[in-house]
Amino acid sequence: MAATNVEKIKDAELRETMATAHKALKEGDYLGVVRRSGDVYLELLERKPELLAEGGIPAMMRIRMFPRLGARLEREGEEAPTLVWDRETFGFSEAVTYFEFAVDQLVGEGL
Amino acid sequence: MKFGLFYEHQLPKPYDGDQWDPDAEHKLLKDALDQVELADQLGFDYIFEVEHHFLEEYAHSSAPEIFLAAASQRTKNIRLGHGIALMPPRYNHPARVAERISTLDLISDGRVEFGTGESASEMELGGFGVPREEKKLQWEEATRQCVRMMTETPYPGYEGAYFGMPERNVIPKPLQKPHPPLWVASSRRETTMVAARLGMGSLGFAFEKPEEAAERVQQYFELVREECTPIGVAINPSLAVLSSLMCCDSDEEAMAKGVEGTQFFSYSLAYYYNPFTGAKHPPGKGHIYKKFKDTPEDERMGMFGGRGRGFGGFKPDEEPEDEVQRALWRAAQRGGCIGTPDFIRETLLKYEAAHLDTMIFVAQSGTRKHEDIMESLEKFGKQVLPEFKERHKEHQKWRDGQLAGVDFEINSSI
Repeated sequence: MAATNVEKIKDAELRETMATAHKALKEGDYLGVVRRSGDVYLELLERKPELLAEGGIPAMMRIRMFPRLGARLEREGEEAPTLVWDRETFGFSEAVTYFEFAVDQLVGEGL
Repeated sequence: MKFGLFYEHQLPKPYDGDQWDPDAEHKLLKDALDQVELADQLGFDYIFEVEHHFLEEYAHSSAPEIFLAAASQRTKNIRLGHGIALMPPRYNHPARVAERISTLDLISDGRVEFGTGESASEMELGGFGVPREEKKLQWEEATRQCVRMMTETPYPGYEGAYFGMPERNVIPKPLQKPHPPLWVASSRRETTMVAARLGMGSLGFAFEKPEEAAERVQQYFELVREECTPIGVAINPSLAVLSSLMCCDSDEEAMAKGVEGTQFFSYSLAYYYNPFTGAKHPPGKGHIYKKFKDTPEDERMGMFGGRGRGFGGFKPDEEPEDEVQRALWRAAQRGGCIGTPDFIRETLLKYEAAHLDTMIFVAQSGTRKHEDIMESLEKFGKQVLPEFKERHKEHQKWRDGQLAGVDFEINSSI
């Protein structure tokens, strides 16, 4: 796994989730990759409420940063964001995009 | 390190007029051909030309294959890159892309770089009926099949999610075997990692800093070695990033001639890619340059999220978190390569130390004058480029080391 940044994730549980996602990517389980990537990003937003606390456009950007390639984040008012599925089949490039995004966000936020 | 030029064919409307001068588009394209011809003579390695549709003022480059074909007949060595061809089938049927790429490769004696992508503006996606949430999947399917069309005789046919066709022999075939080098537009880091895993060059449009480029280069080559499943027959392990170029005798002169064009590049890009403005653009009636000029300079930054105003809403001098917003914000700064030859050399040395393969310059942007662009190219080409060209062999050795043990066929011009 040297070629990914998964090892840089400090939190053991989140690191394990993304390691499982990486395994799923190699095995062609792209839905599994997207599901785990979405879950950890939601977890990140829950653990770091300050990212959405300012509200308005910065909070909206945090939601919209999550790739919108068949699965996306939506938020009603001040509620916690939820993962919305437009479909349940994904391509390789989509799965990689979600995976890399999730890992980068976790590492970037120091989790 | 190698060097290229990047063409959007920007054409701001005249500040005091509703429409362009009748000869403006004609002059824009002919001037660009002159610039490309000069770049070829000076030893630039690439031009990359975008494909965009309906993005008035920002990009009058909807038929890059025509421009590149013209350039092929006025140049000898410079490589002709699609930067990029839009691959979702509603933009271009994959067989038509394969035919055009191969024909261009033949008439240019094998100088084509096949850049691919999908675009993200609502004007284009909506204009051609490409659902945003499907664009990447469409890109992947169409690119994979397009390469097969260039390499298989006959192409056996295909029934996929987004297009299908019966068995046909798609002709002509490209001169470069098995096919021209493959690239994908990478405005986000994630896509660079997609590129590595598919054995494609990464055309990075994110204005990365040298230290970021270094991190990406390292991870990119690790992925090529460890996790690559090529989308084509041959891989093109290559990384390119974008910067803005205006090379003059003094920093002050370079800033005066270059900065507004860079800022307009970012402003107009942000305008079209921002869902609150781009999706509502009134075709034929908008005037982006007037909006740009009428907005105080410090407030223009808000458009990219850099000054705490506008839709970005970020604090002053704080880079936006989102990578695309950050790229626009950075592009609107002075730009990496606007200054004297010494300033530009110092900047490029940092990218060279990061083992970057190719730096692509936005030379034409906004209202920059053709004469200034030509002088800038000449100055850069004579005073900066040669020493980097001289040292490129060292980079190639480093690169060979990175690719040691990789068994895939390689077709790369680096």
